[in-house]
Amino acid sequence: MELTILHLYPDCMSLYGEYANVAVLRRHLEAAGVSVAVETALFEDTPDFEHADFIYMGAGTERTQKAALSALLPHKEALKAAIDRGAAVLFTGSAMETLGISIVDAAGKTWPCLGLADFATVETDRRDPCDVVAHTPLWESAVVGFMNKCSVTEDAPPLFDRLSLGFGNEEDKGPEGYVNGNVFATHLTGPILVKNPDFTDFLIRRLFEAKGWELPEQLPVLPYEREAYAVTLKELTAR
Amino acid sequence: MKVFLAIAVCKILRFIGGLAGKGSSLPGQFALKLCPDVLGRVRLPAHVIAVTGSNGKTSTVEMIAAILAADGKSVVYNKEGSNQIEGVATLILSNCTLGGKMRGDVLLLESDERYARHTFKWFHPSHFVITNLYRDQLTRNGHPEGVFDAVKDAVHPETTLVLNADDPLASCFAQGHDPAKVKWFGLDECSVSTKEHHGVYHDGARCPVCKGRMEYSCYHYAHIGHYSCPNCGHMRHGADFSVTALDLQAGTLTINGETEISLAFKSIYNVYNILAAWSVCALTGVGTAAMAGVINNYMLKNGRMVTFTLGQHRGTLLTSKHENSVAYDTNLAYIAARPEPCTVLVIVDAISRKYFTGETSWLWDIDFDRLNCPHVQKVMLYGKYCNDLAVRFKYSHIPADKVEVGEEIRTAADSLRDAGDEDVYVVTCFSDRDKLLAHVKRD
Repeated sequence: MELTILHLYPDCMSLYGEYANVAVLRRHLEAAGVSVAVETALFEDTPDFEHADFIYMGAGTERTQKAALSALLPHKEALKAAIDRGAAVLFTGSAMETLGISIVDAAGKTWPCLGLADFATVETDRRDPCDVVAHTPLWESAVVGFMNKCSVTEDAPPLFDRLSLGFGNEEDKGPEGYVNGNVFATHLTGPILVKNPDFTDFLIRRLFEAKGWELPEQLPVLPYEREAYAVTLKELTAR
Repeated sequence: MKVFLAIAVCKILRFIGGLAGKGSSLPGQFALKLCPDVLGRVRLPAHVIAVTGSNGKTSTVEMIAAILAADGKSVVYNKEGSNQIEGVATLILSNCTLGGKMRGDVLLLESDERYARHTFKWFHPSHFVITNLYRDQLTRNGHPEGVFDAVKDAVHPETTLVLNADDPLASCFAQGHDPAKVKWFGLDECSVSTKEHHGVYHDGARCPVCKGRMEYSCYHYAHIGHYSCPNCGHMRHGADFSVTALDLQAGTLTINGETEISLAFKSIYNVYNILAAWSVCALTGVGTAAMAGVINNYMLKNGRMVTFTLGQHRGTLLTSKHENSVAYDTNLAYIAARPEPCTVLVIVDAISRKYFTGETSWLWDIDFDRLNCPHVQKVMLYGKYCNDLAVRFKYSHIPADKVEVGEEIRTAADSLRDAGDEDVYVVTCFSDRDKLLAHVKRD
């Protein structure tokens, strides 16, 4: 069982430990018996979407996000082809916004985006970094994390149908993120897969399905991760 | 009349607050309500020095104050660290005559980087020192470029900027500013410099101006070093004030090729703080001998480093800041550079003492592999977030048999007291350090 992870722009689309999402996914996959290759692409490179099974991009500042968008736009057909053949995609933080139709920045300039999803984003002058507790119909447990955005995204079919803490796509505690098939996006920043072992397991199941591999009876549980999750969930829900 | 009233109220509340041991922002808050533009209507000294940046503000301000005082100047400064507008108002107004004239030769302000624009709406500093900008308390600050934008709004065209030439983002404050009003400080390539970047992430990988790939001829730490962007030409400016030689092991540095200084604390941070203080004091006319006299072997009084005894152990607490990976990294580098066998205790219990958050992403930005050296015999991970620390260490190269994990800080103190005599280093934040210091004998 072999699988390739493609990490887009890890040198700068990295606001806060985003690399750990790739590291933890890799380690869990390896513990499940998968041989994992991690490829990276910088702005100057042509990303190898053809061989990618999982494509990840993390959060960046508003300015870096626009540079990432400009770098990725010439390759959008290749990314679309990868999605069409079943590759999974996870874009977190401000990377989520690049999947949509457009971003209107704080100065009023419109940036055409990848057009892989039917949503549009408008930046605001209000940045409100906040802790998040999110709920999805896709798996049972709540998701914990952190958000660092100053934008509103309209018309995205959400990954999380409800937040009990945090700012959703359009409003406080409203629906958040984006999901369509195996394309996942959320404005949560940082190592969300480290913080949420069930999210990691969910992605592993999807990757096994996409590959046509038989799922092990139980996915690997690695030390301290679930204990750490429980502490953060307790702290955030006790608030 | 409103000015008179605001000053009087501030002085009275300050006096009562002093008796009650209360914080220092309330009197200013009341005064600003009575007269919102009061800070624009009082007469300030000719020298108003402000210091901002992610790290080093408090230490730099303390050293500037010490130098200026030794030079015979009367300095008014916010040593209590109340660095938002209300605290600054309290400071200024309680040092004003009722006629609205501030006494003192120099007003010296540590300024919160996000709130500087509010403080400097009514007056502007003659000198504005910007130490550095990096990932710091992102739960409040958003990200470094956001902090840059906030500070940029506070920069007045008449202010002389005193900038860290080695920080590619902080250097951008010079763009559009009168070049005659920009002074630079920086560290020459020296013994601490490396050709390769060290750290888990690299915030200098991309040019802050054009996002092209940045080139470095050397790094001093993190993304601080000698950089140039082949794409747009943004590059390190030559320094007006330079550390021209540095030996961190011996604890000596040389400024401008002529003045040798001994370091009481052998950290790269201390080097930059000294250089920043030196630069702005020189610009306000203090002579080299007077500055060197104060700075030589200067012991910071702000208590960031605490020594103690615990059982047979000699202990040193290095105050890092949670949510600030560069602060952690420099303290870990300090420990790695000590030759004696030691145990390192890392405590993450309350992430902040000022606000609520459960955010632990910053742990992944810390380069804990710096502790992967033979003389670090044991690493103890303690506090409420010990599991998050433990997961993070699973992705370091530190052997698992060196790592101990536990929630109760008292347990860590007890087990150290009961056994061993190696040096102990404690790495934690203001929010958590007293939870350990309660169990030790401080020097």
